[in-house]
Amino acid sequence: MEPRVTSSAYAAAREELARRPGLNGSGRRAALTSITDAWLAEAFSAAITSVTDPFCLVAVGGYGRGELTMGSDLDLLLLHKASGTEASHVADALWYPVWDSGVKLDHSVRMVSEARRLASDDIKVVLGLLDARVIAGDGALAEQLQAAVLSDWRAMADRRLPALREMVEDRRQRQGEASQLLEPDIKESYGGLRDAVILKGIAASWVTDVPHQGWADSVDFLLDVRDSLHRITGKSSDRLVMQEQAAVAEDLVGVPDPDALLRAVYESARNIAYASDVTWHRVDRLERDRRKVSFRPIKRRTPSRLPLAEGVVMQDGEAVLALEAKPGRDEGLLLRAAAAAAQSGIPLAPHTADRLVAETADPEVPWSRDVRESFVSLLGAGAAMVGVWEALDQRGAISRLIPGWDVIRSAPQRNALHRFTVDRHLVETAVHAGSFTRNVERPDLLLVGSLLHDIGKARGGDHSVVGEGIARELAERMGFDDNDVEVIVTLVRHHLLLADTATRRDLEDPAVIAEVAERLGEVEVLDLLHELTVADSLATGPTVCTEWRFGLINDLVDRVRAVMAGRPLPQPPELTEHQAVALAQSGVWVLMDVKDHTCVVTVAAPDRIGLLALVAGVLSLNKLNVLAARVMTVDDRAVQEWTVRPSFGEPPSVEQLSGDIRRAIEGTYDVAERLARRDSDYAVSPNIEHPDPVVVISSGLSGTSTVVEVRAHDAPGLLYRVASAVASADAMILGAKVSTLGSDAVDVFFVTDRQGRQLSQDHQAALRTTVLAALR
Amino acid sequence: MKLVTAIIKPFKLEDVKVALEGLGVHGLTVSEASGYGRQKGHTEVYRGAEYTVDLVPKVRLEVVVDDDAAPGVVEAIVAAAQTGKIGDGKVWVSNVETIVRVRTGERGLEAL
Repeated sequence: MEPRVTSSAYAAAREELARRPGLNGSGRRAALTSITDAWLAEAFSAAITSVTDPFCLVAVGGYGRGELTMGSDLDLLLLHKASGTEASHVADALWYPVWDSGVKLDHSVRMVSEARRLASDDIKVVLGLLDARVIAGDGALAEQLQAAVLSDWRAMADRRLPALREMVEDRRQRQGEASQLLEPDIKESYGGLRDAVILKGIAASWVTDVPHQGWADSVDFLLDVRDSLHRITGKSSDRLVMQEQAAVAEDLVGVPDPDALLRAVYESARNIAYASDVTWHRVDRLERDRRKVSFRPIKRRTPSRLPLAEGVVMQDGEAVLALEAKPGRDEGLLLRAAAAAAQSGIPLAPHTADRLVAETADPEVPWSRDVRESFVSLLGAGAAMVGVWEALDQRGAISRLIPGWDVIRSAPQRNALHRFTVDRHLVETAVHAGSFTRNVERPDLLLVGSLLHDIGKARGGDHSVVGEGIARELAERMGFDDNDVEVIVTLVRHHLLLADTATRRDLEDPAVIAEVAERLGEVEVLDLLHELTVADSLATGPTVCTEWRFGLINDLVDRVRAVMAGRPLPQPPELTEHQAVALAQSGVWVLMDVKDHTCVVTVAAPDRIGLLALVAGVLSLNKLNVLAARVMTVDDRAVQEWTVRPSFGEPPSVEQLSGDIRRAIEGTYDVAERLARRDSDYAVSPNIEHPDPVVVISSGLSGTSTVVEVRAHDAPGLLYRVASAVASADAMILGAKVSTLGSDAVDVFFVTDRQGRQLSQDHQAALRTTVLAALR
Repeated sequence: MKLVTAIIKPFKLEDVKVALEGLGVHGLTVSEASGYGRQKGHTEVYRGAEYTVDLVPKVRLEVVVDDDAAPGVVEAIVAAAQTGKIGDGKVWVSNVETIVRVRTGERGLEAL
């Protein structure tokens, strides 16, 4: 016969267990569960000695899973088939000893039908019952209940999950993300233990697949942290407050200090949060499909595949690989797919991300223009980028692209000003910078500078100085040219310069202003640094985003700008070698030079209003994306050099392209009509919100031409629309510099009126209105 | 006891803090403030558009000290915050009836 486990014996065993050395977290949880089970089984058998009806004592929730800690409540359910009085008699006999022992009790007494009904009303009850475990008594009762609850859950889950989703979202708002907070709640913050329980619940519902890998160990680690926290504080709070972090770190094996503890908690929570994100995205998708089906019950759903980029299509609301994609032979595919997903505001399908990371070779160093543009386009996608970035980072792809990223990954910032870990802060800064891209001439440098500005953190020393060297290596690796590398390095080195100077130095002192001006050198860099400073503040937290602070920074920037004496106007491009050759030809002349995946197309033709738009339109109809263009008019001949890339598949033949251009100029090929038809043929792919386009018009000093700068989100046919608008506003384009930087287009036109003079004020206003209307 | 309140230029905060520490004053409340005095607002031109700056950013600091210490504290703040130019700020002293340290419940000078 087993020895009797009295309440005092149980209390003594708990005490002993709390102090027993050498036990790891799961060992302690198992031991505590087992002595608690034995004690309750004893109390149960004493309580039912005089009854004949079947009773069953069931552990639910965390106790059901065997996750008891010293601070946990005992979550118990007494199942019965008896009358109310008999049941309450047994319950009293059972609960009183537990209450007397001082252990917190969360109890209920139900018949099977009652418990089942409650579960159908309250989703938390379902989640608790899914983990039910029999402690003592008639197991048939528990089996009956569990089978009923599980089948109800499976039958109704698709209708009940939206409510659960709302609860999760609400909790995330209130409790924050466990992977970011300085004092995360191990259970309730997003990515905490609560989310792991919900994931298991969703898996049990059979509604959708739940990622299996990568988070089971994370749950165990968080349970260990929680155990340790409860044991040290003697309380049941799950918030890992700062003052306990040192003691918890010391208690846990393999965690040298509080920073390592936070980092490990963050990484575990990230794994759980990522599995949750993926799962909820799938649940949402099912929910959408279910609604669609109810409207059109007869039509069978066929998976529609919408092309997003070369080798990437959208299917069921996720970016996946096209059938013909070859990850093993296409080093640009990983970032192209990521950029396409982010720019469409959809996730990268997990299996696609797995395949890309496993099969795509790391891009050759320095990166090709293709790879760099995809990277910038990913960075520029705003908030939609965060999920895609996480999908890559979870699989180690970011560390491969950006060596050294691991040092800052999930690195805690012990600073109350900061909301995020170092790596997430960098990602968030790039997200904010994405909405300021219209304020600068080089959106790509702003985005990359934002992503790298704190890259020197978590290494000791002044992080601006440390970061300078790392940023230089990385910018060179990304294939930026020497000038651009210097700009990025300056941004990283001086990312605190504006804020520090504005709040700590005398802005009325000319020497202070001159010093800042000298360090930054050019107005372009000042503008970039200004936007970076604001984005950095917004990504840091509300304490550094006061009007007071921004006011001082603006004041400083204005003063420095004044010292730098304004911005030099863009200069018309010089003729390239190709263009010089083209200028000597007569009539309409086209040359095409294909190198790798990029083509240089040179066109010479008699100039006339609208010529640039026509050629841009023909290129777009031939599925060529414009990466850059330099256009000049010499006497009455226009020479254009285009750098283009096919958006899908192979480029057209030179015969086809030059034929199309000739016919367009002769007027036998209706560009406008064909573009309109093509646009209406295309299904509209989803799109994220972009900053509004900007048109800046300035009069040149020399009196030769007016400068029109257009900054907008890049889109098929964009240049055709802009150039047509310029033509329809009756302006001659004498020269143009067009560049696509990631997903942003920065186009500069040098224009005159028909008489070859600068545009009048009225003409400028009309031109601006026409161009902006064409961009809407 | 006296409450010394000062409105100073933001970049002078560090100098003032050092000066007060030299006097053995260790507790200090600092907040972001904006306002204007005799200088009123001034007009600036930014990217071609003229706009009026009517509120100038300042730092407000407050410190409670023993009656005897107040004149020295005022002098130290003025000396540290002075640039001699318009907009240097103001310092004023007001009476404080009592003071309580929340943690211990100590009152009066002991709570300082």
